[in-house]
Amino acid sequence: MRTVWAWTALGSAVWLALIFLAPWLAARGASSAARVVYAAFSPTCHQIAGRCFVLDGHPLAVCGRCLGVYAGFAAGLVLYPLVRGFSRLSLPDARLLLLLTLPLALDGTAGLLGIWKSPIGLRFATGLLWGAGLPFYFVTGVADLVRARRERAAARTLEKNAPRT
Amino acid sequence: MNAQRPRYFRPALIAGAVAGLLSGLPVVSAANCLCCLWIVGGAAWAVKLLARETPGLLTSGDGAVVGALTGLVAAVVQAVVSLPFRSFDPEQMQRVMDWLGNLGLNVPPNVADEAARTSSAFMSPGWSVLLLAFSAVTLTIIGVIGGIIGVAIFAKKASRPLPPPPPAIPAPPPPPGPPDAS
Repeated sequence: MRTVWAWTALGSAVWLALIFLAPWLAARGASSAARVVYAAFSPTCHQIAGRCFVLDGHPLAVCGRCLGVYAGFAAGLVLYPLVRGFSRLSLPDARLLLLLTLPLALDGTAGLLGIWKSPIGLRFATGLLWGAGLPFYFVTGVADLVRARRERAAARTLEKNAPRT
Repeated sequence: MNAQRPRYFRPALIAGAVAGLLSGLPVVSAANCLCCLWIVGGAAWAVKLLARETPGLLTSGDGAVVGALTGLVAAVVQAVVSLPFRSFDPEQMQRVMDWLGNLGLNVPPNVADEAARTSSAFMSPGWSVLLLAFSAVTLTIIGVIGGIIGVAIFAKKASRPLPPPPPAIPAPPPPPGPPDAS
């Protein structure tokens, strides 16, 4: 589980760095490289400039809410060893995640329906809350998958090496 | 993990196709702003379908696999469905610019040209393949999360109960021993 956690932490750090890299590149005139980075995030984010935080006069590669989710994921990863340790393979109760989802769902639904227009800070905060819960599922699930694959591989090796009667 | 390995592909194909379709349509796809609703929800639904077909309990690892496949299928379907909607219409862009101008927003004159250039670039085959690759990676990861969440939500309720343990066999009476000497 430590290995899965470490790889996830590395991936999360790179992901966050790329979000800030896009405007950094754009501000330095590397518009083609910046466009590739912006494109990388376009399938999962609307990237509306008015809803993005700005760096060096250019919007980040994702909106405030998505940034909150990714930053929350990174924060959850930091908390993971302190809260759960590395030996528990059971998933946390789903009600915990539903609770963390509630603020984002309310804010997002109200925004989509045009009931209110939430400020970018609130979007970021609700995304942060939801994202912070995700590593507790992701790391546990992937670690379980890796463990099961290792066990199957070990069983296959034992079968191969077993003396035939 | 079950002794009989779950069949991941069918549930992933069904749920991924629906999730990709909903994610590719212009207005409906806005719901992905809510926790990537269609992808996470699609992967969780795939777990529910998988649990229905698989005897025994599903593990979170099973959820990760079926979720990843669902995300991958959704990425391909989304790319195909959204293709017609990515075509650039200069008249429509001009209407948007006029509308923004009427709202009192100061739109720089080069914005429309830039949008046209960018849209044309995004329509090229190279960009389409690149976007599909990015989309596949991202949606697969999101699908993994959705699948694992699906196990947390559905696995216990949706899975069939384990068969009851066999009835206890009464222990045979002890063999008669030698008669007590005393």
